[in-house]
Amino acid sequence: MSDASPNTARPVSRSLHHVDARTKRRNAAETRFKALGIGAIAVGITFLVILLSTIFMNGASAFEQSFLRVPVHLDAAKLDKKGNRDPADLKKATTFTYAPLIQQGLLDAVQKAGIETPLTKSGDMKNLISSSAAAQLRDRVLANPDLVGQTVTAEILASSRVDGYLKGRVKRDQVAQDKNISVEQLDLADALLKAGILHKSFNWDFIFGADASDSRAEQAGIGIAMLGSFYMMLVVLVLSLPIGVAASIYLEEFAPKNRFTDLIEVNISNLAAVPSIVFGILGLAIFIQFAHLPQSAPLVGGLVLTLMTLPTIIISTRAALKAVPPSIRDAALGVGASKMQAVFHHVLPLAMPGILTGTIIGLAQALGETAPLLLIGMVGFIATNTPDGFWDGFVSPNSAMPAQIYEWAKRADPAFYERAWGGIIILLVFLLGMNIIAVVLRRKFERRW
Amino acid sequence: MNDMSFTERAVANTETKITARGVQVYYGENHAIKDVDVDILDKTVTAFIGPSGCGKSTFLRCLNRMNDTIDIARIEGEILLDGEDIYDKRVDPVQLRAKVGMVFQKPNPFPKSIYDNVAYGPKIHGLTRSRAELEEVVESALRKAALWNEVKDRLHAPGTGLSGGQQQRLCIARAIATSPEVLLMDEPCSALDPIATAQVEELIDELRANFSVVIVTHSMQQAARVSQKTAFFHLGHLVEYDDTDKIFTNPSDPRTESYITGRIG
Repeated sequence: MSDASPNTARPVSRSLHHVDARTKRRNAAETRFKALGIGAIAVGITFLVILLSTIFMNGASAFEQSFLRVPVHLDAAKLDKKGNRDPADLKKATTFTYAPLIQQGLLDAVQKAGIETPLTKSGDMKNLISSSAAAQLRDRVLANPDLVGQTVTAEILASSRVDGYLKGRVKRDQVAQDKNISVEQLDLADALLKAGILHKSFNWDFIFGADASDSRAEQAGIGIAMLGSFYMMLVVLVLSLPIGVAASIYLEEFAPKNRFTDLIEVNISNLAAVPSIVFGILGLAIFIQFAHLPQSAPLVGGLVLTLMTLPTIIISTRAALKAVPPSIRDAALGVGASKMQAVFHHVLPLAMPGILTGTIIGLAQALGETAPLLLIGMVGFIATNTPDGFWDGFVSPNSAMPAQIYEWAKRADPAFYERAWGGIIILLVFLLGMNIIAVVLRRKFERRW
Repeated sequence: MNDMSFTERAVANTETKITARGVQVYYGENHAIKDVDVDILDKTVTAFIGPSGCGKSTFLRCLNRMNDTIDIARIEGEILLDGEDIYDKRVDPVQLRAKVGMVFQKPNPFPKSIYDNVAYGPKIHGLTRSRAELEEVVESALRKAALWNEVKDRLHAPGTGLSGGQQQRLCIARAIATSPEVLLMDEPCSALDPIATAQVEELIDELRANFSVVIVTHSMQQAARVSQKTAFFHLGHLVEYDDTDKIFTNPSDPRTESYITGRIG
């Protein structure tokens, strides 16, 4: 009651122009705290820039691939001995028949370009050419049997050593012990590059193609793993969004508040913090060993990731529902809406931005998850073809993008290294896309009240 | 409006709409309403006054079972609407609330268009058969709430974009669109400025022709201005319930007198 007792002693009034020691200390503390905050943000941004630039520098080269533009004579005498162009007979010619044709074609091209080289046998060309090239050419011929007997100009995939040499990964002084390439072959590669026969072009096969075996790094692509991820995300979205939202609405709006619901709430929070590999082993035990669902299938991966995503979605949905002002519920109940009408007509639309954001964050987490996939077999060199039709995609064995990246990262051939980084770039593009969708949806659904 | 104008508006109706007998409300351990008996008349404005925390809002929320939404609330006693016990097991609170509408302290329009706000009640109760009929209901509710002229050109603008007083009248329109028989108002003017308050008070007086209105208010002047019957609550008890002019000029209980003269509360 200071104002009521004017006679009590008041502190001596000091000039406002003089800053006292206490104020100085408080201001100094505030300045220190601000500096600390700016420092923390600066460190964070620095690391982000380092991370992104490292990923980009290491991964960008995966999007380019070396090819040899070579005229190949598809010798009818070798490919189609009976001469009737019967597809069944053409299939009898294996890649071992095609490989020498390509090598001969390259040798002819070398000689025609007037390149001087000690390599004069067609077999010397073998190390310049990818071992996948023959299979690719064979596929092309089988798709169009009329090509037999003609000379076609083919874009032949260069071997990973040549590709690595062009990208600076393979150095001349390292090839002494390398039986897959010799210095003479590298000289020839230089000459071919100058002659325009060897060239680099955009690597669509990396984005859309399948993984390849350990010895064919130049052919490996992430496309099929991308499909695996897509099917998993479909399962996760279709299961976790309705289940998660329904569970949250029940818990938040309808369930009585008692010890049992408290217990459920605590457990959901705990589940969100459970390491993902635990969900993986749970999925292995329940979905594969008990329920006998197929191994390595995106369906199982999706189920496991659904279990992992549910707590995230439930927690964010409940937070979004809690944030809707109670006056809206009162208003709806006041005009005689039932509880369910109040929730579905008024509360849920207002909570929608929060729910969608939580869902997409959960999906993005699931998209980047690797550990549980290791346990259900969605890792390794699994799928070489696109699934037969939409539904087959759920059950046919496949990998997923992060598992594919992990697979490449652990392979011995350094040619896979750039693929792993390139895969990370693609994964990040997907995550960025999902975050943009989250922001757009949030803007669209956001309303004021 | 003149503060002392209540004598001109004596109670015209003596038909009882709501009867409460021995109502007790508990919030957990807290005994919020103690043994309240009251008869609320039809086509009359009844004001509940009393100091903060006296239980007037709690009792009001008993009348349309809004207390059901509070888990720890427990209600005993009997509340009859037209002779029917509203706490009977057979009564669905949803049907009850269509009959007993409510307007809240803070204007709380739905974040939808003005039209959708008013049309929501008739829609969920299936009161109209065609779009044209619904439009008629919306217009008449907005007219009764004295809002039609201000919003008729922007029915599809968001209700949240209106001013505070307009929002509260929109909430009143929303409440009367379901053709309730009783309208409960929980301090409807406490968030409004004096001009908006005057408009809402005028509206309440007009609504009396069709509904039984029960209004909770902090302002004794407001109770004197708009009501014909006044109930004074204190510490969970209904201390005195009588004609408004009697309460304000010649209260029989010393606590009522202390409150209206400003000695307590």
